[in-house]
Amino acid sequence: MKWIKVGAFLVMVGFLVGVAAWMHPFGVPWASEMDDYFIANAQVEAGANNVVTSVVFDYRGFDTLGEATVLLCAVVGVALVLRRTRR
Amino acid sequence: MSVVVRTIARIIVPMILAFGAYVIMHGHLTPGGGFQGGAVIASAIALLLVVFGSGRLAGHKNLLSLLEDLGAIAFVALAFLGIGCTFFRNVLAGSGGLFGMPVPPGPNPGFLNTGGTLPLMNWAVGLKVAAGLGSVVLLLGLFGGGDDR
Amino acid sequence: MTLWGVLQVITLVLVVVGAALAVWLRDLLAAVIALAASSLLLSLEFYLLQAPDVAIAEAGIGAALTTAIYILAIRKTRRKEEE
Repeated sequence: MKWIKVGAFLVMVGFLVGVAAWMHPFGVPWASEMDDYFIANAQVEAGANNVVTSVVFDYRGFDTLGEATVLLCAVVGVALVLRRTRR
Repeated sequence: MSVVVRTIARIIVPMILAFGAYVIMHGHLTPGGGFQGGAVIASAIALLLVVFGSGRLAGHKNLLSLLEDLGAIAFVALAFLGIGCTFFRNVLAGSGGLFGMPVPPGPNPGFLNTGGTLPLMNWAVGLKVAAGLGSVVLLLGLFGGGDDR
Repeated sequence: MTLWGVLQVITLVLVVVGAALAVWLRDLLAAVIALAASSLLLSLEFYLLQAPDVAIAEAGIGAALTTAIYILAIRKTRRKEEE
């Protein structure tokens, strides 16, 4: 049983090292049409210098809506579980 | 906690709150935004909880819940502003009114009166995240009661 | 390898060292501090990769709020891990 664990650990380490060695380089995306459009037009269309914020709140607003919903559900769940305070 | 920790917390908590407000307010100009600034403000609330104990903040539980719901409602209402075209349409950008100054393309020093609905959405999401994460930490600190110092 | 590459490798090695310390330590408060240090170094790595938004979010959530939640939980329960 111990040797199975050691073997699985070694296989995982080898896989991760191989992936890190063969990884696609940073800053060179495969397809960059959308990125170029955002960088060229975000200042004029959304009026914001920070392109990330204009993507998060304007172009991809539904993602932020989903994130806000997830946070609301998490807070409601925590408030339900930890409701009793004994005070 | 000891008196050293309490004194340093009294000095550093206003700085954290001011930095969080700066990150939210300049979210459309500099790195950061509503989520990040809200997390910074919530970390100030967590610091207060760890240092001073949760007993003193127990009365603000309902206020934090109210602020979180207010932020969520404001965010959805701002999204509904553009329902004439599409949901999440940035109607205020470039209109010349509130937050509607046209932005010169290319590098510029950054003007606070730009961005359309982006700064308002930043404030809504910042309020929501700060109150939500702060109320999570506060509820966890209040649970079980007892051992605050 | 450039200076930035060397800095990134050092930061990532320290992140892994902090994560290993967080698993290995028996004192849970020290483990939480090691986890916070690892998260802060991960935030530095995000900044080195030119993603300051993610770096601020990681520093706020990972290094501050998670540590506070763990410290509150440790205060409610025990500090030493059982054998």
